[in-house]
Amino acid sequence: MAVEIFLARALLVHVEAPESAVVEGATVGEAVGELSRRHPQVRRFVLDDQGRVRRHVNMYVNDAMIRDREGLSDAVADGDRVHILAAVSGGAGGFRSA
Amino acid sequence: MSESGPEAGLLASTRKGLLVGRSRGGRSEWEWRPLAMTGWQVDYAMRDARTGTLWAAAAHEQWGPRLHRSDDSGETWRETGTPAFPEGVGVEAEGGGDSVKSVWTIAPGAREGDLYAGTDPAALFISHDDGETWEVCESLLGHPSREAWGPGAAGLSLHHISVDPRDPKHLAIAGSAMGCYVSRDGGDTWRPQNVGVRALHIPPEMFEYFSEEAAGHCVHSMHMHPERPERIWQQNHWGQYRSDDGGATWIDVGEGLPGEFGFASAIDPRDPDTAWFVPLDQDQARMPRGGELAVFRTRDAGATWEALREGLPQEDFHQTVYRQALGTDGGDPIGLYMGTSGGEVLASADGGETWRTLRTHLAAVLAVRAWMID
Repeated sequence: MAVEIFLARALLVHVEAPESAVVEGATVGEAVGELSRRHPQVRRFVLDDQGRVRRHVNMYVNDAMIRDREGLSDAVADGDRVHILAAVSGGAGGFRSA
Repeated sequence: MSESGPEAGLLASTRKGLLVGRSRGGRSEWEWRPLAMTGWQVDYAMRDARTGTLWAAAAHEQWGPRLHRSDDSGETWRETGTPAFPEGVGVEAEGGGDSVKSVWTIAPGAREGDLYAGTDPAALFISHDDGETWEVCESLLGHPSREAWGPGAAGLSLHHISVDPRDPKHLAIAGSAMGCYVSRDGGDTWRPQNVGVRALHIPPEMFEYFSEEAAGHCVHSMHMHPERPERIWQQNHWGQYRSDDGGATWIDVGEGLPGEFGFASAIDPRDPDTAWFVPLDQDQARMPRGGELAVFRTRDAGATWEALREGLPQEDFHQTVYRQALGTDGGDPIGLYMGTSGGEVLASADGGETWRTLRTHLAAVLAVRAWMID
């Protein structure tokens, strides 16, 4: 399946990758994996070290939020658009107190 | 050494990035590179004396932990591999997040290419390829005493690692609240080494307090002396201690200090009897007693202490000095460096006798590490 992945501009501050790319894959995980092979930083910013979607990241297939944030098993079809969003979050006083 | 005297390099890890400094004029003037890793919390940075490589452990609430290295004295940095638990090794990431929240310390091994890292959650990782890939030390992860460990205010972290320069299989590690552990076989087996150390946060009936296998003690900083590795110094949540038998037993050396609580400590690599501590006024306050910042030095293995305060704030100092925010450069005379939670970097070029302020208005300084420049 050829799908187009779009990265939010907030992610492009950290990741050297184009705003969108056409990749092959039958699931969201395969599509993100293909993009990460081309641009290795994508994986570190989008997924945690256990391969799950980061807490402050979200993914949509067309207009539907993905259901499987741990295994990224949501199916994609030819021509689908996968959107990767970065939440506007933060403002806490840091996460280390001593 | 310049014509003016010895020169030093300095890494100041802050909650908003990393500063790399270099002295001129015999440690009287300092030049600084622009802030690196801007916006990232740099928990720890150090220089590997074997290679000259600078290492920095950064973490971001949104993007997780990263390790960076610089092979050009801090001009450029690149990400390397970052420690992570493999699936099924027993430490679960909480609620969708990295299994390793942050890297608290990095230490050169005694063999070429070996590096150690200590993390939150408390675990020891080793790299045999100079930081590109990491594997977890499973013998520590599965240690039967682990059930006695519990998180402190800053989480459950392994934050100090010492490697015996004469024997690469001799390691001493510490964390809070896990205690001190020593391995004599390169990390295949570990023994808790906390006899004589108070642990008032644990009800005595919960475990044999002075048994040889007791663990869960709240070490805040710990240093094995490189020339006399059986001597280890420790600032604990509950006092200051010295061991002369590799951690098997600990001697309370806190008499004469204005408080048993504190985070930071440092040792003189040329003199096993000299150490510096920054005692704080009890754990509920976490700032120096009376608002007077002082570094306390012993030159007789903890028998007596002298307060060094010239050039340090002596009223209304309501900050703290974190556990890795005191360091020496190994020079002669030895230079001391201290970072504060209020974003100051302070330095002494005479062993702590006199201090001056190098930087202000930074984010909280989490660690300082220094070295001599040839």
